[in-house]
Amino acid sequence: MYRKLPAMVLMTLLLFAIPSALFALSSDEIIEKMDNMATFDTTFSTGSIQTTDRFGTKTSLFKSWSQGKVDSLIEFTSTAERGQKILRTAGSLYLFYPDAEQLIRMQGSALRQSMLGSDISYEDMTEEKNTLDSYTAKLEQEEPFNQRSCYVLTLTAKTRSVAYPIQKIWVDKESFLVWKAEYSTQQGRLLKTMEVLQTFETDTRVLPKQSRIEDKMKKDSSTLMTIDSFEANPKLDKSIFTLENLTW
Amino acid sequence: MVGKHSRHVLLALALVALTPLFASGNPVIGMDLLPTLSYSAQEDSWTDQVVANLTLTLSSKNEGNVRGEVVLKGNNLSVPTSFDDVVHKAYFKARFPSFRLTAGKTRLSWGEGMLFNAGDVLYGDNSASVSLTQAELRSTTSWLASVNYPLGYFSFAEAVVMPSETQTPTDLFLAARYYTTVKGLKMEAGYATRKPLGEARVHKPYLSLQGNVGFDWYLSSSLAIPEEGAFLEESKESWLVSGGIFYLQRLPHERSLTLRLEALTRPFGDWKTHSVKDADAALLFYPELSLAYSPALSFSLRSIISPLDLSARATFSTIWNVFEAFNLVGSISCDAGNAGDLFPWNSTGSSLSVTVGSSWVF
Repeated sequence: MYRKLPAMVLMTLLLFAIPSALFALSSDEIIEKMDNMATFDTTFSTGSIQTTDRFGTKTSLFKSWSQGKVDSLIEFTSTAERGQKILRTAGSLYLFYPDAEQLIRMQGSALRQSMLGSDISYEDMTEEKNTLDSYTAKLEQEEPFNQRSCYVLTLTAKTRSVAYPIQKIWVDKESFLVWKAEYSTQQGRLLKTMEVLQTFETDTRVLPKQSRIEDKMKKDSSTLMTIDSFEANPKLDKSIFTLENLTW
Repeated sequence: MVGKHSRHVLLALALVALTPLFASGNPVIGMDLLPTLSYSAQEDSWTDQVVANLTLTLSSKNEGNVRGEVVLKGNNLSVPTSFDDVVHKAYFKARFPSFRLTAGKTRLSWGEGMLFNAGDVLYGDNSASVSLTQAELRSTTSWLASVNYPLGYFSFAEAVVMPSETQTPTDLFLAARYYTTVKGLKMEAGYATRKPLGEARVHKPYLSLQGNVGFDWYLSSSLAIPEEGAFLEESKESWLVSGGIFYLQRLPHERSLTLRLEALTRPFGDWKTHSVKDADAALLFYPELSLAYSPALSFSLRSIISPLDLSARATFSTIWNVFEAFNLVGSISCDAGNAGDLFPWNSTGSSLSVTVGSSWVF
């Protein structure tokens, strides 16, 4: 009887382990699901970016349109930057300044500029949702965050063209929402953190309604990004993501 | 008499301004208050003055197929003597199914370059007599009508007509350009023709390119070919080439340093190393170094360098975005050169100026 015990224990372990191994998601599958949950055929949203420092809060309002994983257009509607627009399409980012009637094409390092004095760069704001094109993912562990079960993954940049060489993200095991992210240098120095404060549900998906971005290099500074309205898969005119519309 | 005329202009403008003010409902006011201390080396004296710039912008709602905007500008140092002195912009844009029409007083940005832009054949302003304290170094507007015709998502053709300087229909200013992007390279080619007052008609073809090779680069070139006279000689002398590079380097603590270096050359200009004039300087450089110390605080050093007469204008400035749309600004500008140079220290104007002020948009 006792001779059979190790074999029985092994069998029992295998019975539990095999199904969980069969159904466990790989790191790449988690990232793909995460990207897919954040991607719609088309979207239209309005929102605000609030930057707070020790002198107070500055608010920028925006409208945003997106199509698929790459195309996006953002138009600022607040007084100081009214009419400024950012168009992101495959491989290019264009800015339009209405005061100078100037169309600027941004490439390379220029994308890293801070947008409207916030803790968000042009690159952050219009990032393509093809994470695995730019990063390799490694599943580190599973742990709860905000009372939600999460996968904890480390993303390591494949190229130098991305904003952050290392990202550590907490991905909801059920909704695949990124609840928290830590952005670091190659040497592991923490630069920024992002945390989702509120969510909303649309089209059976959970999306961030309000996120806080903190620059760890600055004291008493944070950026709050809020989505005030969101429309999933609206019918958008194809011409929205064109230079003609950008300069309109 | 001038004062009376100015009052009439201001009254007319006030009436023009008030009508859309009520219709628009969203006037935007920009206000700069810039106390300045200036030193004149020629007179060996200091003067002080407050420069107050006021901008009133009235825009239509951002919806529908017709949009428009009126921008009125003025400051306490110059008395407006004409409608155009105060009306910086007054235009509408109408979106038709296959093209867009713009008419009124506005600006069109052709070519590439922050200070030097050989591709700007519409305004042709490559003058070095510019204040480096302004955010926007070139902001000339003009009365025009333009048609923009999209040719795909990232290409378009544009045609422009401006009133003639002689008020003769055959002397109209005409221009057209083609804008496209091919595999990471932005290309722009165009042509303008104008008839300056008392001179022969001039034809200006241009080409402008922009790309990235680890840093952003841009290059523009244009010619001004007169219809009469020694056109070959004059065309050679008018050949303008401008180019620039732009690079942003991230620094520790989320700071960034940006470098822009522009150059303007007239290849068949006067390359002798003596005093040069603004209109025919064979080589000019514009370096700009900016440090974004934080998203709210930045420092910049801008300079125009004339290497042939070894003179330069330099401006160090800082902008602190304290509150929403409210900035504290400061700058120090000076010219360094001998008498007769492009930027002489002993000029009739200010040799050195220090400004500390504020700007607010509400």
